[in-house]
Amino acid sequence: MPVGQALDHATSLLPWCVSAWLLGVGLYAILTSRHFVHLIGCLSVVQSSTYVLLLAAGYRKGAQAPIFYSHPPGIAVDPVLQALVLTDVVIGATVTALLLALVLQLHKRRGTLDPERLRPMRR
Amino acid sequence: MTVLPVGVMPPLPVAGPLAVAGLLLATGTRLPRRMPDVVAILVALAACVLCALMAMGSAHAPLVYWFGGWEPRHGLAIGIGFVVSPAGAWLGAFIALLFAATLLFAWGYFDAVHAHFHVLMLLFMAGMIGFCLTHDLFNLFVWFELMSVSAFALTGYALRTDALEGALNFTVVNTIGSYLILGGIGLIYLEVGALDFSALGRGVAAHPGDPAVAAAFALLASGLLTKGAQVPFHFWLSDAHAVAPSPVSVIFSGAMVSIGLYGVAVLDWTVFAGSAVVQHLVHTLLLGMGAASAAVGGVMALMQRHVKRLLAFSTISHAGILLVGLALSDGNGLSGMLVYLLGHGLVKGALFMVAGIMLASLGGIDELGLRGQGRRIWPAGLVMGFGGLLLAGMPVGLMDTGLERIELAMRDQHQIVVRVAVLTGMVCTGAAVLRVAGRVFVGWGPVSGEEECSPTDEEREKADRPLWLMMLPTVVLVALSLCGSHDADRIAWRAAALLMHPDGEAILGLATARPAVVAPWAAVPGSWLPWVATGLAVALSGLELFWHRLPRSLARGYDRASGPALGALGALHSGLVGDYVAWIAVGLALFVLA
Repeated sequence: MPVGQALDHATSLLPWCVSAWLLGVGLYAILTSRHFVHLIGCLSVVQSSTYVLLLAAGYRKGAQAPIFYSHPPGIAVDPVLQALVLTDVVIGATVTALLLALVLQLHKRRGTLDPERLRPMRR
Repeated sequence: MTVLPVGVMPPLPVAGPLAVAGLLLATGTRLPRRMPDVVAILVALAACVLCALMAMGSAHAPLVYWFGGWEPRHGLAIGIGFVVSPAGAWLGAFIALLFAATLLFAWGYFDAVHAHFHVLMLLFMAGMIGFCLTHDLFNLFVWFELMSVSAFALTGYALRTDALEGALNFTVVNTIGSYLILGGIGLIYLEVGALDFSALGRGVAAHPGDPAVAAAFALLASGLLTKGAQVPFHFWLSDAHAVAPSPVSVIFSGAMVSIGLYGVAVLDWTVFAGSAVVQHLVHTLLLGMGAASAAVGGVMALMQRHVKRLLAFSTISHAGILLVGLALSDGNGLSGMLVYLLGHGLVKGALFMVAGIMLASLGGIDELGLRGQGRRIWPAGLVMGFGGLLLAGMPVGLMDTGLERIELAMRDQHQIVVRVAVLTGMVCTGAAVLRVAGRVFVGWGPVSGEEECSPTDEEREKADRPLWLMMLPTVVLVALSLCGSHDADRIAWRAAALLMHPDGEAILGLATARPAVVAPWAAVPGSWLPWVATGLAVALSGLELFWHRLPRSLARGYDRASGPALGALGALHSGLVGDYVAWIAVGLALFVLA
């Protein structure tokens, strides 16, 4: 069935396109951001591109979740990449929390969060 | 001789600091006031001794440690391993030593807090040592992140406005770099299906012309080069290093930047050695980036008046020289890079300590504003002047030994443009530091009328620390950078050979260990480069200080020739995070084009 195969092919490419698109759109939004909280949100968008990439890399069509406690052993998706994504989520949460704390302190001191008006060195 | 068997040592220099950091965090409020200082220094020294012992124990074959006993089965690495090679272990020992010196320098620096500074420093150190010892790509990323997150927190630690702004830029740019690394890890795992370095190396050698492998290298290298501050990924560095507390800047410039480049070296030789496309990329694009960083960093350093920012640009320049050594892809280049890394870390660490002494004793860091005020802390001035000469390439000590090797490799490969760029970097950074020493500690140079408009707000670091306490680690670092250069050269030659020919089969248990292939060591014939560079640096700093005494037409010509180009270069370093991210995109595009 050529139509079905073409469709399969297209759906297998989809996650890569989504990942690249998230990376591009996130970077563009960081470039043009005028508010640091918005910018941190965009950083999370960039990060989601890595989630999609890693999950897509580990995906096997028709395979079950890599949990063998209650299932019979069989073909499962790659658990290594899922572990990587979990670690990635933890790291992302740490960095976001730290950035928001920095931003909060900065807002207390400068009263603005516009990157244009906040520069470490005025030269 | 040793109490512990070498076989169980590999995790200790990482696990020890992590455990002590946890203990300090839990008990910090109840400990006597100076206790955390003492504990942290002792832990750093212990880690240094452990790493040095492992380095000596691994001189013939690497020490392999699989966590939880998950050894490879049938050549398939199923666990995560530390593989200790002499290069990684000596680097770990150097890092721990730098931390010990820095913690001594920071004695009593922050006292209002519950040992949080020490906790962060220990986490930072554990991350860096783990990064040097690990043999698993994702584990490398985890250590990289541990080191980055502690670095972000330490930058903004003082909670001053400019420190917070610098920390934000630093965090955003470096986090994007981390995500690029993660993307690279995903790509290469998809292609090869492994994360262990040896297994990856075998997999890459099996798909030599694969574009996905090259793409994975581009992403991994971009992330690591962001940490390693190479043009065009370098913009965050000058902001972060300039505003971080001085003890933190010591570590940033002395070790963190060069660690990123060491990561590139390890990946290049253990994982991507079998890919001709990647080797070509390293030899062309990375070589060009290194040369550009050396030149741009040098010129920018010469334009600064904020002393820490000046030193930060000089770090970019010297990191560029390190990347040149790496990208030359031969034994001389790599072994020169390893020695230069140590020498530069020690000298630059000492110079940032001098900047810290200026902040504490003179209450400022602006070169013009402090003209002549440094006379009463003249020992610091001596160190600064001497450090400037060492940066310029004065032919003594570790920096010179490393540079001679790199120079030999450049000469062998007829890289004339790269040699000129390296020379520019050395001359400009040396001249800039000498100029500061002359102006602040002697009082040379004209009164320009711009003394009051300093580029940052009032900066001052905690003042009531005795001068000798701050001078002690500074002098120790400079002294260390001067001794043992001959032995260091021999050790680095062997370490570089082991790094370039990793015995992956033996690590995966597929074959018995084969004897290491080490080409016979030969001393480097001395070259004219160090003398020329030192002479030019002294001349240039003299020109910068005394140009007003030149005949007027010459002085005007100097001004006119240097003005516009330098202005444009300065304007690029805008301090805007959006611009920096745009330059990261440009860097990625360069990888695609090359």
